[in-house]
Amino acid sequence: MMTTRRLRILIGKVGLDGHEVGARVVAKALADAGMEVIYAGLRQTPEMIVRTAIEEGVDLIGISILSGSHMTFFPEILRLLKRYDASDIHFIAGGIIPAEDVQALKAIGVKEIFPPETPTSAIVDFVKALLLYETVNMCPSVAS
Amino acid sequence: MADKVEIKTMTDEGKSKGFKELEKAWQEECLGPSLQARPEGREAFLTDIGLKIERIYTPSDLERINFDCRRDLGFPGQYPFTRGIDPAMYRSNPWVIRAYSGFGEPKLCNERYKKLIEWGADEIVMAVDLPTQVGYDSDHLMARGEVGKVGVAIDTLRDMEILFEGIPLNTLKRVSMLGNSFGPAALALFIALGEKQGLGPGDFVVDLQNDILKEYVARGTYIFPVRPSVRLTADVIGYCARHARHWYPSTLCANHINAAGAGSSKAAAFAMANGVCYIDHLLGKGYRIDEIAPLLSMFLDERADFFVAICHFRAARKVWAKIMKERFKAEDPRSMALKITAYSHGGETLLEPVNNIARITLAALAYVLGGVQFLYNASYDEVLGTPTEEAAKIAVRIQQILASELGIANTVDPLGGSYFIETLTSQIEKQIMDEFEKVEARGGAVSAIEQGYYLSAIMDGANARQRSFDRGERVSVGVNKWRTETQIPFGAFRIDPALEKMQVERLNKVKRERNDKAVKDTLAYLRETAMGEGNLVPPTLEAVRAYATIGEICDVLRGVFGEYQAREYFGRSAG
Repeated sequence: MMTTRRLRILIGKVGLDGHEVGARVVAKALADAGMEVIYAGLRQTPEMIVRTAIEEGVDLIGISILSGSHMTFFPEILRLLKRYDASDIHFIAGGIIPAEDVQALKAIGVKEIFPPETPTSAIVDFVKALLLYETVNMCPSVAS
Repeated sequence: MADKVEIKTMTDEGKSKGFKELEKAWQEECLGPSLQARPEGREAFLTDIGLKIERIYTPSDLERINFDCRRDLGFPGQYPFTRGIDPAMYRSNPWVIRAYSGFGEPKLCNERYKKLIEWGADEIVMAVDLPTQVGYDSDHLMARGEVGKVGVAIDTLRDMEILFEGIPLNTLKRVSMLGNSFGPAALALFIALGEKQGLGPGDFVVDLQNDILKEYVARGTYIFPVRPSVRLTADVIGYCARHARHWYPSTLCANHINAAGAGSSKAAAFAMANGVCYIDHLLGKGYRIDEIAPLLSMFLDERADFFVAICHFRAARKVWAKIMKERFKAEDPRSMALKITAYSHGGETLLEPVNNIARITLAALAYVLGGVQFLYNASYDEVLGTPTEEAAKIAVRIQQILASELGIANTVDPLGGSYFIETLTSQIEKQIMDEFEKVEARGGAVSAIEQGYYLSAIMDGANARQRSFDRGERVSVGVNKWRTETQIPFGAFRIDPALEKMQVERLNKVKRERNDKAVKDTLAYLRETAMGEGNLVPPTLEAVRAYATIGEICDVLRGVFGEYQAREYFGRSAG
């Protein structure tokens, strides 16, 4: 490890979709990999997610969604991050999201979208690669 | 003189002794050398419920479980209903082909329903959108972006009228919606729709899920705190017990609890404990057990193992019959005969989705062999989103093939008596009963939920399943084995975002045209009833008839009961 600061992650569900096992399993896998994970729970709005992310000083937001409402919520989360000058917080997602939407969402700034059937190790590796690279190369203040 | 013939059982002393010697000889002379040359592919053949599957099952296994074909099997239609709840099963009473469907707004959805009926579906199960499921109208702030997704939007009785335009409810074997968080309103919508079609409750059959307790641990569409919610669920059962005894007011759901991770045995035990909670509530209000138990059914689920699924249904029937007879002293056999709903799915993959047709067919076959009453199939493209018309048709066709080709439904409990099936059934029966007793020992379902007991069982199971998938022990063909494609297929069915606006306009029109005083008066009556002890169905029915919205009805109840605040049972490890 190049840094003593633990990576901080916010996991949550936006909208009214109540299927949360996937989110909880991913939260546990990231926690088991040594990260600090805040689980925001169900029925979050984009505003609630972004506010919590800023208050908790997280490095990354991970949202799970199965309801098909991602094209409403995800652009809104990105817009709010920008508006609150918090675009340095990364945003990844998982759930049932059609391939054409995955392309559109990545084009506007969602870092990665994990479909069902993804091994948790792939998510852990991705988050580590994304954040540790940044910690070492772009944020020397938190590296020690 | 059949009754004079002495039945020789497998446990017949002399026979069994001779067999054991033969079995031992087989192990030493035949099996041993074979395994030396060709070892088995795995160290242990484990199931999702933790039971180990043995290499072979023989009469010795039946002896080990002390199998008694009179006590453990009996006959179909009789206690303990292991072989099924009907004496002649599908020969005289075919299972009901259900179709779970709903998307967009009611007019669009009505066209799909007509097609499903034309293809041969017996029952329409309305899938409603999430705002409706949690009691928000389509114009609510929290509904934005969700109207018509995952189901059809229902705001008022008007939407039901449009949805079932040209579909008289008495032409279906049953008509259904989930209605978990607001059971009385769901029931009222069907009663009022029947009235509009000139039908009384005696003319058609309503089937609801109306099982709120599992929502707090596995599905998430709750509105009110736990205890008033139990009252809502129980009021619907109580109302039907007195006014529509041929309806299905509550389906105790193991399905979602298993899907979330608990494993099928624990899921069934939790669902039964939830049912016991509703029953206790009603007994406390003066109902008799034989008045309410026959109206209940269960939504069971096992998706990881074909044979476990078959045995799970047989075992669950035994356990339920025993609970009804011994704990509640039920006397009516219909109270003890567990009617089973199932949903054929599990293991569907996003990659190469057409393969899901095989998975769904096999799941449905297991449920039929287990003696299901009400069956619906997933559509093979459901993993991508709302099913396309073609996929929805295939889901119905698979059931028709199973029901009428290949002789699958020609005899009752075709696998009964198999060494394997009987041993596994007995093991699963023990698992379900043990787990049910653990919940009872914690003070019943509500206490177990509040203590986080259900959720911790679910999360332990979910994490174990993920680990076994990550390690490749749980094979998903085309995904973690023999994978060739990496690209997720395009072409999901899409809901036009303009539908949200259209639905809100329809809602506004209903609000303009209805009698405001009638709405106000009926909602006041609902509030008054909620503050007292009375059954909530009659006042809800009056509000629904007056075209009060689902949101308005739920807001009245929110005002009286408050809203459920999710408690966090997640361990420190995750924050």
